[in-house]
Amino acid sequence: MDTNQVANSLLMHRGAEADLYLSKVGPWKAVLKKRVEKKYRQKDLDAWIRRERTLKEASMLGEARKAGVRTPSVLKLDPEEFSFTMALIPGKLARDNLDTMKPRAREGLFEDLGHQVGQLHHRGIVHGDLTTSNLIISEENIAYMIDFGLANYSLEAEDRAVDLHLLKRSIVTSHNFGTEKCFKALSKGYTASLGEREAVSVYKKASEIARRGRYFAIR
Amino acid sequence: MSLLCLGIESTAHTFGASLVDDHGHVLSDVNDKYRPPIGQGIHPRKAAQHHADVAANIIGQALAIKNSGPLLPDTIAFSAGPGLGPCLRVGATVARALALYYHKPLVPVHHGVAHLDLAMLGSGFRDPLAVLVSGGHTAIAVHIQKKWRIYGETQDITLGNLIDMFARSSGLPSPGGPTIEQEARKGTKLLKLPYTVKGNDVAYSGLLTSASRMLKKGESLQDVCYSVQEVGFAMLAEAVERSLVQTRRKELLLAGGVAANNRLKEMLQQVAHEHDASFHAAELSKSGDCGLQIAWSGQLAFRSGITVKPSESHVVPRWRIDEAEVPWIPIK
Repeated sequence: MDTNQVANSLLMHRGAEADLYLSKVGPWKAVLKKRVEKKYRQKDLDAWIRRERTLKEASMLGEARKAGVRTPSVLKLDPEEFSFTMALIPGKLARDNLDTMKPRAREGLFEDLGHQVGQLHHRGIVHGDLTTSNLIISEENIAYMIDFGLANYSLEAEDRAVDLHLLKRSIVTSHNFGTEKCFKALSKGYTASLGEREAVSVYKKASEIARRGRYFAIR
Repeated sequence: MSLLCLGIESTAHTFGASLVDDHGHVLSDVNDKYRPPIGQGIHPRKAAQHHADVAANIIGQALAIKNSGPLLPDTIAFSAGPGLGPCLRVGATVARALALYYHKPLVPVHHGVAHLDLAMLGSGFRDPLAVLVSGGHTAIAVHIQKKWRIYGETQDITLGNLIDMFARSSGLPSPGGPTIEQEARKGTKLLKLPYTVKGNDVAYSGLLTSASRMLKKGESLQDVCYSVQEVGFAMLAEAVERSLVQTRRKELLLAGGVAANNRLKEMLQQVAHEHDASFHAAELSKSGDCGLQIAWSGQLAFRSGITVKPSESHVVPRWRIDEAEVPWIPIK
């Protein structure tokens, strides 16, 4: 990636860790994600972390895709520039879109999302930061997962439960639609794809985490 | 006439007593530290013995204010937890005895909450993102509905543990913080140590093992100290940065014993600066364990109506900070 491309691209979003630019690959619209320098970190350490994370996120996006999860496909990888380019998913962030959806469509979306999370977990991957800010709802009302920078390989019920808990908590704290039916739909989809036995142990852990009062998200 | 609170600190190595009025004016703050031999950690029973030996003298000094007769406190506050059981019981016993003898209300104080309260007093902040780093805590917290809620924390040992345990295994005197900071300033080579951030959480045990091994393999103490600080603090700084963005707080408060470290302060200051937040670190004299933190937190708790009967004033060695009622924050 030449730096020119960044300079000519439109800044879409500025996060804690990375900047997102609207970009192009061939005729297709794309998104360039560039991890920015952190001045508080020692220089070599900073470069090492940004490089590792860039590689990890790009590979995890691919792994999740192989598991049958809808994620944007990675089009270009440039670890030396701490950036990669992925396909643009036309749509809106779930955070900004969920409240205005029709209840029936919303429940369908959650069942499908539960299904996808189940498949991700079945493949041995946990997202690590699953919130409504990290979900895109496409124009066809289908959920795409993004932001795999904190994803990890894990089969632990605890790690899986953190995914579900963070998702639910982000919904409860920043949305005001009736959540009960949606959570039911989520759990239906999740149980269907992961299997009853494993899903139950994850849900048990999730309520344990909620009781501990940890991960109290305000988004 | 202002209301005076006597605070008694007795959670770990420090036995302290302090008299503070209800405006936060400090009349006295007298502390004495148990020092284990080099290469050893705190022995709970020996520390408790030390506390019992110095208690009468320390409290006597705290109450004997210059140019005035002996002062009688209006309330007695004590560190009820978290901490080492035998140590906590010494402070609690002394506090109970004083409360019963003088017929004064007894106020239980959470040691970690008290660290934050004392730092708050110096900062002028109202509702910050708080970072508490000490031997007992490594936590990132925000205040919601009467309690500090943990937004991120260590999954294994605390940052204070990391520093103390590394110092101990390298034959440095306890507490190891100042020596490690000094050695780190002379280090130049960044060694590859495990960097573990999971969401808003950190983990330090891998870093400790790795650092001790590097030293044994012949890397210089300076370089290992430098690397431990750079990697260990950067992990925390990253978790703090994520939390700051997510919680949208505009004040960042650093408290606890490790807040004395200049490199850590510098890093968190930079994080705050990049997100337009104000930054305050507890002053050096107020960052370590002291009677003053208990006295001031006791004032705030008493003002909110928190007291305990001496017969029910149990110590809680494993009291989580998010289980303590803190109705006096946000400050109005």
